[in-house]
Amino acid sequence: MTDTLTEMLTTLNGSLLSDAPLLPLFILLTSLLASPVLFALPESAARLRAGINLTVAALKVALVGWLGIKVGQGVVYDISFNMLPGLEFKLQADPLAILFVSLSAILWLVTTVYSVGYLERGPHRARFFGFFSLCVAATVGIAMAGNLFTFLIFYELLTLATYPLVIHKGSAEALRAGRIYLIYTLAGGLVLLLGTLGLWVLAGTTDFTPGGVLEDVVAENRLAAQALFVVLVGALGVKAALVPFHAWLPTAMVAPAPVSALLHAVAVVKAGAFGIMRVVYEVFGIETAQALGMTAPLAALAGVTIIYGSLRAITQDDIKKRLAYSTVSQVSYITLGVALASPIAAVGALAHLIHQGLMKITMFMAAGNLAEGLGVKKVSEMNGVGRAMPGTMLAFSAAALAMIGLPPLAGFVSKWYLAQGGLDAGAGWVIALLLGSSLLNAFYFLPMLYRAWFRDGTIEAPARPRIGWMLAAPPVATALMVLFVGGFANAPFSPLEWTRFVVAIEYQE
Amino acid sequence: MTLSVILFAIGWPLVMALLLMFEAARPILWRMMPLAALPALMLGLLLADPVSVRGDWFVLGLSVGLDATSRLFLIFTSVLWVAAGSAARHWMREDPRATTFGVVFLMAMSGNLGLILSQDAVAFYGAFALMSFASFGLVIHSRDAGAQWAARLYIGFVVIGELILFSGLVLAATQAGSVLLADLRATELSGLTVALLLTGFGIKLGVMPLHFWLPPAHGAAPVPASAVLSGAMIKAGLFGILATVPLGDFIYADHGTVVMSAGMLTIFAALLLGVQEGSPKTVLGFSSVSQMGIIAVGLGAGLMTPAAWPGIAPVLVFLAAHHALAKGALFLGVGAWAVQAGQAGRGLVTLAMLVPALVLAGLPASSGGLGKEALKAALADGSPVWLPWLTLALTLSGVATALLMARALALVWLVPPKAPPARADALALPFLSLAGLSLALPLLWPVLEPEVAAPVLAAPAGALWPLALGTGIAVAVAITAHARMIGPENFVAGLMAPFHAFSERLRSLSAAKRRAARRVGYAAPRILEATAAQWRLGQTAVAALIAAFMVIEGTAGLREDRISIPAVQLGPPASDDAEQETLEAQPDAETEQRATPSGQGLDWRD
Repeated sequence: MTDTLTEMLTTLNGSLLSDAPLLPLFILLTSLLASPVLFALPESAARLRAGINLTVAALKVALVGWLGIKVGQGVVYDISFNMLPGLEFKLQADPLAILFVSLSAILWLVTTVYSVGYLERGPHRARFFGFFSLCVAATVGIAMAGNLFTFLIFYELLTLATYPLVIHKGSAEALRAGRIYLIYTLAGGLVLLLGTLGLWVLAGTTDFTPGGVLEDVVAENRLAAQALFVVLVGALGVKAALVPFHAWLPTAMVAPAPVSALLHAVAVVKAGAFGIMRVVYEVFGIETAQALGMTAPLAALAGVTIIYGSLRAITQDDIKKRLAYSTVSQVSYITLGVALASPIAAVGALAHLIHQGLMKITMFMAAGNLAEGLGVKKVSEMNGVGRAMPGTMLAFSAAALAMIGLPPLAGFVSKWYLAQGGLDAGAGWVIALLLGSSLLNAFYFLPMLYRAWFRDGTIEAPARPRIGWMLAAPPVATALMVLFVGGFANAPFSPLEWTRFVVAIEYQE
Repeated sequence: MTLSVILFAIGWPLVMALLLMFEAARPILWRMMPLAALPALMLGLLLADPVSVRGDWFVLGLSVGLDATSRLFLIFTSVLWVAAGSAARHWMREDPRATTFGVVFLMAMSGNLGLILSQDAVAFYGAFALMSFASFGLVIHSRDAGAQWAARLYIGFVVIGELILFSGLVLAATQAGSVLLADLRATELSGLTVALLLTGFGIKLGVMPLHFWLPPAHGAAPVPASAVLSGAMIKAGLFGILATVPLGDFIYADHGTVVMSAGMLTIFAALLLGVQEGSPKTVLGFSSVSQMGIIAVGLGAGLMTPAAWPGIAPVLVFLAAHHALAKGALFLGVGAWAVQAGQAGRGLVTLAMLVPALVLAGLPASSGGLGKEALKAALADGSPVWLPWLTLALTLSGVATALLMARALALVWLVPPKAPPARADALALPFLSLAGLSLALPLLWPVLEPEVAAPVLAAPAGALWPLALGTGIAVAVAITAHARMIGPENFVAGLMAPFHAFSERLRSLSAAKRRAARRVGYAAPRILEATAAQWRLGQTAVAALIAAFMVIEGTAGLREDRISIPAVQLGPPASDDAEQETLEAQPDAETEQRATPSGQGLDWRD
């Protein structure tokens, strides 16, 4: 597949270069421009709002698909202009960006359908969808940022756009969660700003370049480079929920279900993990980072987070809280794969960026359906819900089994590559870590499945489901994606195949 | 084309499981339950030549197909699933949780058939996991306290087994540089990898000390599920080892020693634990553990001595099929017994159950007798240090199985199993089919794969005496138990009643006859009564067992000589059988008279 792409790259290079060079900008603008329109719409214009939302989301998926094909053919997109002398605003659509943009575009469409159904009669819908749209625009910006400065702008925008979503319910608990969220992420953003400045001073550029820009600096000033690594990864680690910066994530689960779904699957935690990828691969370069002696501690920290998150998840009775701690654990698989400094592990890490998103969004939407349809919010109330909501629970079960790592579901593919990558990097402990994590996953997911399917419920199955198709369909759709990205992992244009393409670029000299 | 046919055979039960969710489709789907495994069975019967097809787009590169070994596994496995499906249809007719049962039953079926058909590690692991996880629903079906406990134990072992397997397969795939099972088998895997694979599959196989989940799970599951759990699914452990471990090419002496010792321990420890159990299906479960001990002995020998493996492998496949059919029949027999209303029907079912029970205990010339003799012959190429012990263990395993079978059959009567309301003849067809197939296995095997079957058919028929000894002990124990129940004095009095009656009648006879008969008529009851008072029957049985051990130790050396000459003749040498009969008769006579030291058993043979 990679060979075919390289072949295409050589034959088609040049001929298509001039084809719609501003495509990445269009993609960014779809949701960015939709946002003020959505703010301006009156609260009562529900139909129009839903129409705009869905049209824009669908349009974006189409544009991203087009962009993906072009990039796969080797077209290079690079848009930049000076904001201040020396400070360049730069958008690029490299394969790594495509990976993240596709995830956010597809899941945004799914979540939009879900949100429209979820908030059908709720208050403040204009505000909600405005920020929702802005949040996705920020994610797209993060994905396509061509340098750390641009990345920082969208990273901060993301923080500000998600805060109103977290506190959407307006309850005291929600406000408190929002405050904690702001404290953590703004502090993280501030440190990232310092790091960006530091990078500017040390390297004279903040551009993302495969192989890194700090090779010379490391030779001169090793300590400064190490400090920069700690600052940048630490700042990004807040959003990636690395221990000990994870506390905001389980608190933020008070947000409405679609927000939690997006937060955990695409927007915030993934922005952090994606940032760590960019910093390790394209600011430092994997070999430089390894030479600095920074990858091993990062891998260890990711390992600790994986186990810690799972341990905490076991004791949670609140379904969403259990899922939140599970995210803490699962997102660190990505960091682990990056830090292992093996191309095989990197394939696992990048694939997990997609796979975890699909699995976790399924579970959060399913949890939302349980709460909406049956009023079930706790694990201990889940007895017999499988019979009451078979579709939702089938989707949830598929995602949970995927998390545990059963083939042919998505989670298995990531775990397999991470395990092989661990062996490739000479870190056999990774296998033990993955086993421990899978065991803990089984510990906190299997009892939920057991209650749902094998315990006789106290809940009477409603004659007609109390949730509409807009709530019922999205988790089923994402669960099918979990099945397909795993079951057809080797097919062309599967996330795994694209990941191999990306890794071939990041690991080439 | 072939790919889609194979995928259909695997996926068809899954499609049925999915359709079961729709209420309207349920009645017809339950009718079709026996047909769920039919595509796989047809595939096994019709695809005589090895096939291997790739589906590059699936997962990490799918490979499915059949070779001689997996074809045999597929045939006996799908036969069991067809029989169990037919039984489940009736067994579950009135069950309120029938739908859940049907779904997990079909999922487990798909996994079990899928793992046999897969030829790459990922597909294999996925199918294995599907089967193992879905079976949780089979074990927990009744939801009573025992089933809850059994299911919890089961799922714990499944999760741990899956994780061990995952790491074993990742390591193996990395070392082989491929996910194809054929490449795994051809690579010299590291010791750790092989240990992980053996442990992961050993849990499914139920070899001690990894067996804890097995008897409770097989006891708790409904009859049709127990039949496939014990008959088909534990064989997946053996299949996994055959599919992944490079047996026959590389020496794994330490692994072999551990597996072989575990196997020998399992054969007898399962007996000791099994006879204490109070439910027929749990006892049958322990018998499965004991039988898997025999398989582990063969595996251990193959790990230790690769040269012996080509001889052992076909025998293990045969033993797997033999146990699958016989044990499946026994479990379905328990169900068939339970749905009988009258004593006559129950008696008939018990008689029919004797067939698979005797086959399992090694009836000469049946698959049990042949299989054990063939294994002994194959082991002769292995380590000479272990050989006498292995021969002894395999021979005595017949005694162990006979005892467990007797216990199980007795328990069916003593603790009648619960039965759903079903027609009395409902389970007869699948039960009798499996029992018949288990009896006919030595005839069917060469038809399927002549080359694989050849070494098995070349083996001698096997000895009757372990089976007879086991039955004898079982009868003795039953008498003891009966005596204890009604009180020893009453028992002896009852036993002596005919003699006393005889001596009473003597009084009325003529004087001449009286004098002649008096000596016998008065003396015999007195002597017997005195003996019985001193020797309680339980002790007699133990003494008989000890004597038997001494005799067998003596013959072990003799057997070794005989086996080292490759046995090629078909059927049993008649003189051998006769010899065994006399050997068997001696210890009993000896203990009854309790005068001769038991060591003299050796002299009598000459």
